[in-house]
Amino acid sequence: MAEPGRVDSTSLRAPTPPAQGLWAGLRRLLRQLVAPVLLCLAVQANALTLELREARASVTIQGQTKQLAVQLPYHWDRVHGGLQGAADFELPFTLAELPGRPYGLYVSRLGNAYEIWLNGVLLEKNGDMQNFNGADYAKSPRFVDITPGLLRTENVFRVHIRVDKGRRGGLAPLVLGPLDEVQRRYEHDYRWRNTGSMVVVVLSLLVGGVALVLWVTQVAPPEPGQAGRPEPGQMGRPKAGQAMGRPLRDRLFLLAAIAELSWTVNVGDVLIETPPFGWPWWGMVTIAATAVWVCTMALFCIEVAGWGRHPLVRWLGRWILLLLVANPVATAAALLYGYPLALTLWYAALGLTCLALLPVFMRKALRDGSIAHRMVAVALLLNTLVGMRDIYAFRVSATYGGTTMLRYSSILFGLALAYVVIARLRFTSGQVRDLLSGMAAQVKAKEIALQTRYQRVETLAREQARDDERTRILRDMHDGVGSHISTAIRQLQTGKAAAADVLHTLRDSLDHLKLSIDAMNVPPGDINALLANVRYRLEPRFLACDIRLTWDVDLLEPVAAMDASAMAQLQFMLFEAFSNVLQHANASTLCVLAHPCETPWRGVRLQIIDDGCGFDVDQPRGNGLSSMQQRARGIGAVLCLASAPGRTVVEITLGSVPSGGAVVGD
Amino acid sequence: MQVWRVLVVEDDPQMRGFFANSVQRCAELCLAASVGTVAEATAWLDDDSNTVDVLLVDLGLPDGSGLAVIRHAVLRHPHCEPLVISMFGDDANVLASIEAGALGYIHKDSRPQDISRTILDMRAGASPISPMIARRVLSRYRSDQVGRAAGPAPASRLPDKSLPGTGPHAMPKRRLLSPREQEVLALIARGFTYAEIARLQSVTVHTVQTHIKNLYAKLSVNSRSEAVFEASRMGLLPRHG
Repeated sequence: MAEPGRVDSTSLRAPTPPAQGLWAGLRRLLRQLVAPVLLCLAVQANALTLELREARASVTIQGQTKQLAVQLPYHWDRVHGGLQGAADFELPFTLAELPGRPYGLYVSRLGNAYEIWLNGVLLEKNGDMQNFNGADYAKSPRFVDITPGLLRTENVFRVHIRVDKGRRGGLAPLVLGPLDEVQRRYEHDYRWRNTGSMVVVVLSLLVGGVALVLWVTQVAPPEPGQAGRPEPGQMGRPKAGQAMGRPLRDRLFLLAAIAELSWTVNVGDVLIETPPFGWPWWGMVTIAATAVWVCTMALFCIEVAGWGRHPLVRWLGRWILLLLVANPVATAAALLYGYPLALTLWYAALGLTCLALLPVFMRKALRDGSIAHRMVAVALLLNTLVGMRDIYAFRVSATYGGTTMLRYSSILFGLALAYVVIARLRFTSGQVRDLLSGMAAQVKAKEIALQTRYQRVETLAREQARDDERTRILRDMHDGVGSHISTAIRQLQTGKAAAADVLHTLRDSLDHLKLSIDAMNVPPGDINALLANVRYRLEPRFLACDIRLTWDVDLLEPVAAMDASAMAQLQFMLFEAFSNVLQHANASTLCVLAHPCETPWRGVRLQIIDDGCGFDVDQPRGNGLSSMQQRARGIGAVLCLASAPGRTVVEITLGSVPSGGAVVGD
Repeated sequence: MQVWRVLVVEDDPQMRGFFANSVQRCAELCLAASVGTVAEATAWLDDDSNTVDVLLVDLGLPDGSGLAVIRHAVLRHPHCEPLVISMFGDDANVLASIEAGALGYIHKDSRPQDISRTILDMRAGASPISPMIARRVLSRYRSDQVGRAAGPAPASRLPDKSLPGTGPHAMPKRRLLSPREQEVLALIARGFTYAEIARLQSVTVHTVQTHIKNLYAKLSVNSRSEAVFEASRMGLLPRHG
């Protein structure tokens, strides 16, 4: 806190900081050599502009005030490292003649809080002069309009500053001169420090935001070899072995996002005069952001170089992690406990790490690096050099005012990073596209294979159906036409059979053949059609035998269990039953009934009833009845026979009958 | 007494002789001629001096199908009533014959008296129809109805190539069956005889026969343009036996 009332008249010059002895000597030497030249140039440019560097200072630290004659710039941290305080600078100057036009005052840096007085008039005030660690107004250059009436022949500027510990407080030389001239210098400084920083912030935010969005929304790339596309150059490869569509995020994108966003915080700090929380905590945040930027960029370079699996990288990663952990400690030591050397040493370690990484990275980039790798190498080289320069300028030398150049060289890093991210995205998209086209080809091949298999199955099914039909026809021929013809031959060979018997046998044969042909077109399960065909084929013979036929057939639902083979078997059974009546029953009436059968099964009950002589169901003649029994069992039908003179009933029940359910006898 | 002149077209000489004898044994029938090939038959039919009332024709002839003879006879002699000689009376062949213009069919194993009886019945207005044929006609009629309901998009339903007249050269229009004709067909398909149907429907047998005759007329191709159409299709038809 400034205490103008207490003056220590014994201190006439500012004490020289121990670490600054050598550098101060060099700087003085340089100034002595270069300053006359610059001064000549400045005088030629505009002899009216004054740069006030000599001041009498009243410095108050921890309640102690000292009077000093100082040279500006006055870098507080260099003079009073690790301390906070206030200072009152008095800068007298003389004007040969009073200006007739407006003047301006430009100060490249002052504060952290300040007041500027001219000839007892307050020109500008920013910040709280009483309380420390609040807003910081030393980040931007300052410009003040001075009306001509304020200036006299003998003048004095008084500048009061309040300075926080380790916050780059102090006072730069005051530049006074005609408005347009001084304003031009101010604007040049402002552009470099503030407008340029704004551009960098926007760019970093953009690149970081895009990288973060890509990282969040990224899904797994296809497995290497699956898509058949070689990876470009030496870029880090996506992680393999993950299924397509699962979230698998590329670490490269995350590193890029973290680096750029943390750099945004660091660079953006110059635009924030009132930080969200007080000093030195906010300072620790911005320095930590710088540390994160450098470390993540180092990791990013490792990824770009494809060294992810190199054994040394594990150690390098641990070292970078250690640097990250050490950063808050060094920052706290510098800002909280007044040991700025700790932070300087940390910066040095970081710089050396980058210096060690640089040649290896450059060598690989030059030998077999991709475009992205080389771009990053150039950016790394430039940023390392600029970073070293900044470390020297702001941590080693006593430079006050000005701005770090790293913020501008980092643009190249941002551009390289954006290129790498886009290249990786294109690569991944290409892989996905190739995978999709590969999948489409596979699907097509599968379709063809399936179609081929289906055709084979269809062919086999057709062959099976043909075999079944052949088997059925053979059986029909064997049991029907073949049997009848051989019987006829036997009848003719023995010479005992009458011509009528042979004719009957042959007619049986032909009828059976016709029924077999009809059976080919009878729909499976259509009992009506089957019965109608049998009647149609055999009715002429009933008429010839003078048998009256009664037809009592309902409209029947198709019986699901009766396939084509079962229908043929049923037809044979009906033919056998009718043939028995024609040949042996000597009947005058034949009644055919067909009705739905509700119980015990849903099916159809067929009854063939004649009024013939009947027969002994336990000792039937020939093998016709046993054949019917076998066929009934084969198709899951129930066959019941009941015979007595004057009434013989053959009953066939079709439907959902348990297999082997055929019953013979009554 | 009306005597009907009969032309027999059968390639097997023994069978041809059997049919010729069967015709000759009947006083109401007169054998106009008996030939063995399509060429002989068409030449005979083209001869303006010949007249014929009944054509008995086998389908499987050495130089072509008997269907060609039926169409030719119908064109040249509109009053001629063709009868197809069929071994099995199977529905595919018989139906194709009916569409060509036949009014009935007769089995090769029929007795001589059955042959003359069938011819005379046909001339009297009775045409035979088997349950299988009735069922096929009904089935085709129902599929036609479905096709009409679905609109004029023949590609929307697959033609049943096994059915004559339903292939790619099918007739563009088919005359509808009356409800009574449908009922008669349904009963025939269930195995009922004309007499039983007449009793069930309380009509005369003659009425039932008329329904069947109408059915034949509807199924047959009897207009000249349709005949020309059918003739163009003839080469695509499989050889019938």
